[in-house]
Amino acid sequence: MPMTPGLVPRFVVRVLAWLPVAFAVWYFTAPVLLWPVKLVLDVVCRMGFGDLVRAVEQAGSVFTFATTLRPGGVGATGQVALEVDGLAYSYGLPLFVALVLAAREPGWPRKLGAGYAAMVPAIAWGVLADFLKTVAMSSGPLVASQTGFSALQREAIAFGYQFGALILPTVVPAVAWVLMHRGLLERLRAQA
Amino acid sequence: MIRFFLLFVAIQALLFGGELTPWAQTFFVLPWTTALARISTWLVALVDPNVVTAGKVIRSTTNGFAVSIEAGCNGVEATIVLLAAMLAFPASWQRRLAGLAAGIVAVQGLNIVRVISLFYIGQWNAQVFEWAHLYVWQALIMLDVLIVWLIWVRTLPPPDGGGGPVPPAVAAASA
Repeated sequence: MPMTPGLVPRFVVRVLAWLPVAFAVWYFTAPVLLWPVKLVLDVVCRMGFGDLVRAVEQAGSVFTFATTLRPGGVGATGQVALEVDGLAYSYGLPLFVALVLAAREPGWPRKLGAGYAAMVPAIAWGVLADFLKTVAMSSGPLVASQTGFSALQREAIAFGYQFGALILPTVVPAVAWVLMHRGLLERLRAQA
Repeated sequence: MIRFFLLFVAIQALLFGGELTPWAQTFFVLPWTTALARISTWLVALVDPNVVTAGKVIRSTTNGFAVSIEAGCNGVEATIVLLAAMLAFPASWQRRLAGLAAGIVAVQGLNIVRVISLFYIGQWNAQVFEWAHLYVWQALIMLDVLIVWLIWVRTLPPPDGGGGPVPPAVAAASA
């Protein structure tokens, strides 16, 4: 990136120019982009929530958690399945792509790959925390009581959900971008 | 950079955890959100008198459409991220405070634009509202935080503290 006084404004203009393109690509390729998230969810659910989750399915950008929980109410049959939209936790991907492309630094394809790899676990966190929050707190006492979560565990789920919804989706791409563009930061400071 | 990253994560976790406590919600987040709703309504009322506010809800008296400013839309989390980034980065306290003052104004100023724009987008088209609310504005607010931080970093003296070699005349005068 050229080191001129207009460095930051030009960078902003380029980010804003790339954002609509990145959002469009993200929206239409989300089923593919989110497939690794499904793999992470599979592993985590099998290892940590095997008694609660029977399977995780993906249809488009939506993940369906097939649970072992029975719906509340007299005479209710079947098992509870809950859906979480992966788009709600992955909108940091287009932001990261726009930031990397706007920086015009060498090695941008590698940076895109590394950033994507860093964001997949964060997206999985958000999706899983959303699911856990729903079963533990939003599905009513008849369903929530079957999960066996303690009060402390419900507090942890609530915090994890808020963190996964409000912080991770945008902070992870921003931090990943900063860590991958340390040279740019040093040049910025050197120009002061 | 590793020190910056670890400090950033620790400060952010601390502030975010603090924000979620009932005390902070009662005495800071809710009053802040209510004030945000009032400021937004006051600004909208300059050109559109058919708007009222009740707590953190902004409502159109023409068609009844209303938006409620919830967590994630009040700019508190974005401010926490900016705060953590400025506190974690090596700088003098004077520069940190100046950066925070300007940065909070920039982040909250754009957040007011977000609230007002969503209020009108929602009355126009529900699908566009969903997109703008859930994805686009979230990304733009974080971009705002990042840009404010980059501009602030640019104002800091170079890491060596001297901004390059000291001219001989200055060196002699200060000797």
